[in-house]
Amino acid sequence: MKKFRILPLALGLTLFTLNSCQKDIDTINQENPNQFSNADGSLMITGAQMANVLFQEGEAARMAGIFSGYFTGYDRQYISYQQYKMTAGDFDNIWGTLYAEGIAQCKIIKEKATASGNTELYGAAAITEAHLLLTASGLFGDIPASEACNDEILEPKFDKMSDVHNYCIGLLDEVIPSMTGSSAYGDAYVAGFDWGQVASTLKARALLRNKDYAGAAAAAANGVQMNMDLKADHTQETPGAWNLYFDFLYWNRGGYLSCDGAYIVGMLTDSIDDGTGTMVVNPQGRINDKTQEMGRYDYYFLPDYYTSLDPNMFGIFYASSHYDLVTYVENELILAECAARTSDDATALTHLNNVRDYNNNMFGGFAAYDIADFGPGAMVDGATASDALLQEIMMEKYVSLFGQCETFNDVRRTGNAQGVPVNIGDKLPARYLIPQSEINARKNVLIPSEGTDLFAPLEYYQ
Amino acid sequence: MKKTLQKLSVLGLIGLGLMTVDSVKAQVDSDTVKVGEVTVTATGLTIDARKAGFGVSQIKSKNIQTSGESGLIQAMTGKASNVQITRSTGDPGAGAYIQIRGQNTITGSNQPLIVVDGVPVSNSSIGGGPDGVVQQSRLNDINPADIADIQILKGAAAAAIWGTRAANGVIMITTKKGKSGLHIEFSSQLAIDQVNREYTKQSKYGQGSGGAWAANNALSWGDRLADRSGTDQVDETGDYFLADDGTKIYPIVDKGDQTVYNDANRNQVFRNGTTWNNNLSISSANEKGGVYFSVSDWNQQGIMNGNSDYRRTTGRLNFDYNASDKLKLSLKSTMAKVSSNRIQMGSNLNGLYLGYLRTPADFDNTIYSGTYYNAAGEASFGAHRGYRRYMGDAAPVYNNPGWTLNRQVNTSDVTRFILTPEVSYKWMENSTFIARIGYDNSADQRITYFPFNSGASTSNGQYGESVITESELSAHFINQSSHKISDNLSANVTLGYLATDRRSHSIGGSALNFIVRDQDRFAFNNSTTENMNPGVSRAQILNNRVYGIADFAYNDKLFVSLATAAEQASTFSDRFYSPSASLSYELSKDVEIPTVSYAKLRASWGQVGIAPPAYIWGTNYVSAGSASGWGEIMDASYYGGSIYRSTVRGNPDIRPEIKRETEFGVDLKFLDGKISFGATYYMNNIDGAVLAVDVPASTGYTSTWDNAAYLSNRGFELDLNVNVMKTDDFSWNIYGNLGSNKNMVDSLTGSNSLFLAGFTGTSSRAVQGQAMGALWGGQWLRDESGNLILDANGFPQASPEEGVLGDPNPSWRGAIGTNFTYKGLSVNVLFEACQGNQMWGGTYGVLNYFGVAEETANEVTVSAADAANIKNIYGQSIDGLAAANADGTYTVRGNIKDFGAGNVLLDQAWYTGLGGGCGPVAEQFIYDASWVRLRELSLSYQLPASICKALHIPGASIGFTGRNLALWTNAPELGVDPETNLTGVSNGRGLDYFNNPGTKSYIFNLSVKI
Repeated sequence: MKKFRILPLALGLTLFTLNSCQKDIDTINQENPNQFSNADGSLMITGAQMANVLFQEGEAARMAGIFSGYFTGYDRQYISYQQYKMTAGDFDNIWGTLYAEGIAQCKIIKEKATASGNTELYGAAAITEAHLLLTASGLFGDIPASEACNDEILEPKFDKMSDVHNYCIGLLDEVIPSMTGSSAYGDAYVAGFDWGQVASTLKARALLRNKDYAGAAAAAANGVQMNMDLKADHTQETPGAWNLYFDFLYWNRGGYLSCDGAYIVGMLTDSIDDGTGTMVVNPQGRINDKTQEMGRYDYYFLPDYYTSLDPNMFGIFYASSHYDLVTYVENELILAECAARTSDDATALTHLNNVRDYNNNMFGGFAAYDIADFGPGAMVDGATASDALLQEIMMEKYVSLFGQCETFNDVRRTGNAQGVPVNIGDKLPARYLIPQSEINARKNVLIPSEGTDLFAPLEYYQ
Repeated sequence: MKKTLQKLSVLGLIGLGLMTVDSVKAQVDSDTVKVGEVTVTATGLTIDARKAGFGVSQIKSKNIQTSGESGLIQAMTGKASNVQITRSTGDPGAGAYIQIRGQNTITGSNQPLIVVDGVPVSNSSIGGGPDGVVQQSRLNDINPADIADIQILKGAAAAAIWGTRAANGVIMITTKKGKSGLHIEFSSQLAIDQVNREYTKQSKYGQGSGGAWAANNALSWGDRLADRSGTDQVDETGDYFLADDGTKIYPIVDKGDQTVYNDANRNQVFRNGTTWNNNLSISSANEKGGVYFSVSDWNQQGIMNGNSDYRRTTGRLNFDYNASDKLKLSLKSTMAKVSSNRIQMGSNLNGLYLGYLRTPADFDNTIYSGTYYNAAGEASFGAHRGYRRYMGDAAPVYNNPGWTLNRQVNTSDVTRFILTPEVSYKWMENSTFIARIGYDNSADQRITYFPFNSGASTSNGQYGESVITESELSAHFINQSSHKISDNLSANVTLGYLATDRRSHSIGGSALNFIVRDQDRFAFNNSTTENMNPGVSRAQILNNRVYGIADFAYNDKLFVSLATAAEQASTFSDRFYSPSASLSYELSKDVEIPTVSYAKLRASWGQVGIAPPAYIWGTNYVSAGSASGWGEIMDASYYGGSIYRSTVRGNPDIRPEIKRETEFGVDLKFLDGKISFGATYYMNNIDGAVLAVDVPASTGYTSTWDNAAYLSNRGFELDLNVNVMKTDDFSWNIYGNLGSNKNMVDSLTGSNSLFLAGFTGTSSRAVQGQAMGALWGGQWLRDESGNLILDANGFPQASPEEGVLGDPNPSWRGAIGTNFTYKGLSVNVLFEACQGNQMWGGTYGVLNYFGVAEETANEVTVSAADAANIKNIYGQSIDGLAAANADGTYTVRGNIKDFGAGNVLLDQAWYTGLGGGCGPVAEQFIYDASWVRLRELSLSYQLPASICKALHIPGASIGFTGRNLALWTNAPELGVDPETNLTGVSNGRGLDYFNNPGTKSYIFNLSVKI
């Protein structure tokens, strides 16, 4: 029929055009022109370390600092933190950094390094993974580790805190031999460290949390040596590379985080405000004939910038100040504490004096202690000399690790030997909350119930 | 006038061979009212509205123009049922969100497809988050005066041939063509805009905290102004700030000034906005064809007293030519040049409202720029002074509003053109072939500039520039033929092929930390290498589809349309089919119903879709870097660079979302057409909405792309028109529409709740079992029966878990208007209502925190006994917080409230903690955001022919339009028009956080025919 001649014509035209477009239609969106579809493991490691630095130095450390008496939450949401009014959503970002940007990348890098036989890359990734997981487990307790970041597992189970620690110790033990003497694949960190030493101090940290003093001392014996600290590199004074505390304190969130009224301030001063405006002798003050803290005070605190006393964004937290991650000072104080707790005061004193010597070089005002300086009525008061020495080691560690997460572990492990005051209520927070994002996205494998209670103690710190 | 239009329409129908000659004759012979109502179908061609088996809303040219809106989108407000238009802010040229029959996707666009003269054009609004500037919608590039009419195809069946672009409805816009004779018309419009709603600020207490004045303090919890000495004591011996006008500002030693600067600070920020709009059109046609030509210039200064403007210059030439009886050619062409400058807003320390509203009552923002001299006399030029750093010795934490308005630059320069050539050939008596090409191209050049010393993170200067280019090329081939099957049955068959190629490209860069700091230059070389960041992004999507439509007419009363389209696109692998069927039955032809002059029943079903976004098939490897919610970043590019796996997992099995919709409707006319009434009920469901589903981060991904959500909408639409009276001189007409839509996220795989827009503590989300956009955030701790669990002091506590707080979707929305004409005078009044929606009053919450809200400046006096008992959240009793008055009572700043365990004191400790907008409990700042407004009041007067004759012109009119003149809401403490949205044209709704304000307008028109 004449009428329907249109059909073949239209059909022919359509098929012609369809054909000419077909190839492009099938292929043009296969690959994203703006991104890559794969990358060599050696290109990924710095990215994983960026996440590690953000995790160790960012929000998690600030919260730990508020819980540990280092800081006071002073403005906006940080006032709620100061009052321990955390919601699960406050932890979403930390968690995303930890797993998706940190641990997941480390696991991929390990696979790629294994395939290409690159043991140093493997080692750097394994130590980074252990570093992330240890800090995380210290804060959150039971967390996914063995099943985490596996494409086949949609809801990884939560491993017990002890299992996470053992998993990390296993990772560290595996790579310490091959990584000793190496600092390869460490572009995020200040040059001069040794992966083997870093791994050993991390292992000591893990064992110390479980009160395995002998084990911790043995690990720390191979730990970070003088001038071999692992520090986040903030040489470039620009957002994206500079000190993250500086970014927060000065650049993005001026006035949120203060030291006004923070417990640590009293450690470094002779007299404190008794709450009514009268200055009285500070019972917690550390200043004595062999200890002057003015240098350290000035390095840590800055008066009258955003608040009456800010964390020193032009000192310890200046834009180009590197951030301590795993240090000689911490390692020495682990050795000192382990010795003191195993009744070896002489060794303990040696390590404490190593730190005091370090402080003297850094800040001035420290002389070596003798064992006679400790005890009832002595320069460092205590029920016994041993008690006084142990307490001094704990307090030196408390002051030395200003701004770091690990102190929050020490506080809970020792039942608050540091005497950190409670901001509100009658208990210090005992953990971080499992984030809302993790709760929301799970249907089958649910989070441990204590993960929603800020005051529920962790396995190691019952 | 109306008759001419009808005839043109009929001619158009015949010319396109859309229907058999017989049926056209029949219509012309029957009721001309019905013939006049034509509907533009999704193909861009017209059909008789009687035949449509689906509901269509039509907006006429006149109604667009009288609205006085710069933007076509905004001009549609209130004029069609279930078409929800929400402007982002009152900024000149600001975009608006269009939602037809509810939301259809979660993370894709909910904006309808825009088809102008038969070809798809861009309605993108790129950018728009909780901070920055409000962006334009590209649809607003079109000159509203060029529009002949707008048809809104709401349902799936109506739009089915557009397949995966049709799920949000299609707006078919037809531009004007030449009118027979010669018509030259010039119109000029002057509009005055004013802010339509503002926050009130307390004027009793000064800057500071804890009842004491403190310089540079963020808060207004300082001392009582009435208790001050009267004058500031300053130190003139050391440093000082020298303002640009010569005023010297010295450090304050003792704050004594009692002056309240709220009005001065307010007047620094607002002005009367002005708009000049001039439009010239020339239209002519004869039997060989026609031409429509127009130029227009819209030149607007916004209500914000600074760099806030919008200028749109457009030109159009529409040309059609009948080369022979069979061959017709046409070209529609338009160009637009749109330049604007915007003001930073939102959650943004450089934003206008943030700095302005937080300013304490006792701080004068007038002086914002000058030179700071330190005690040694050394000058710092280009100093910026604000209440967070009043000496200007360093950049303040928040911008002074004067700086935000006058020193920061945020321009957008758009060049846009759209070309639509078309050829139509009637190659057989009953068959016409049409080929139509469309090319839409826009380039938007944007500059964002923060001078050195801008607040907070931009204090070392920041400059960014980008060019965003978008284009869409489409080719559309249509063949239409008509067939008479029997005496009673005829069929029209349409076969079509449509291919589109959409591209977008964005290139630009940013520069930080300026080298030269005292001269404004838009140049990348004002930064060192490590402070320059280039960026580029490109995308291309190809799409083609074939379709066939068969329209059957039986006895000119029963109409059935069957259609299907098969589609391929580069963003999904399997073919997508969109079948549809619709039925229209003109009941009144068979049944006599008293008073009913016309009755039609209609039903339709259709399936359409939403294509997944490009490039989500694979998991990408991306530039490594980690950022926190607070702004800190670790960027691997400073450490030798790193590429790592994206935290978003790709999905090679992604398919288009499928929307299936059924609708039923009835169209009735009573009393010889005096009353017309239309009703539609529809229900749809969306299967497999594409989104990046949140997954437990412990899997190594934060989200994964998936067809993961199921949504549904159901609702109804009513349209009414009553011609109350009509005589030769007088006519009175009442019109209205009502729409209701109930949206539901039926399921959301892998997640209970999905972030759409907002903040960590408060967001608009997709939550299973809730309507899209649900407001979500921190809530009070409650027991199982919903009672507050109070703490030892009688205060509520924050729940550790967040939850649903409200619904930003209205339960219904409607408009009612009336129109009188008497001789040359015409009056139009349009009221619009939106009811049952909620919003998060984030601004108000934060003003409580800062002690700026009036509520926070309340003073309460209690007896000594109460003063000993009533405690604040820290457990401090009033007698410990304030000294006793002479009569033994106590007066304290704050409010007394009983949460259930007796009276407690809400004071600074409360407002800056749990009870304020920075605390974790957003629940307390969810407000009923229902509104009713006088959307439009317009008067126009057509000069009598005698006067026109004396002036030697064919005609002239003058007019006035008032827009948004009155607004009624249920939350008077919110100083914001609830028709606002922080995140612009995004799927997150109902958020207010220092949004720039809305406007009302007074518009004067003069139109002259030459």
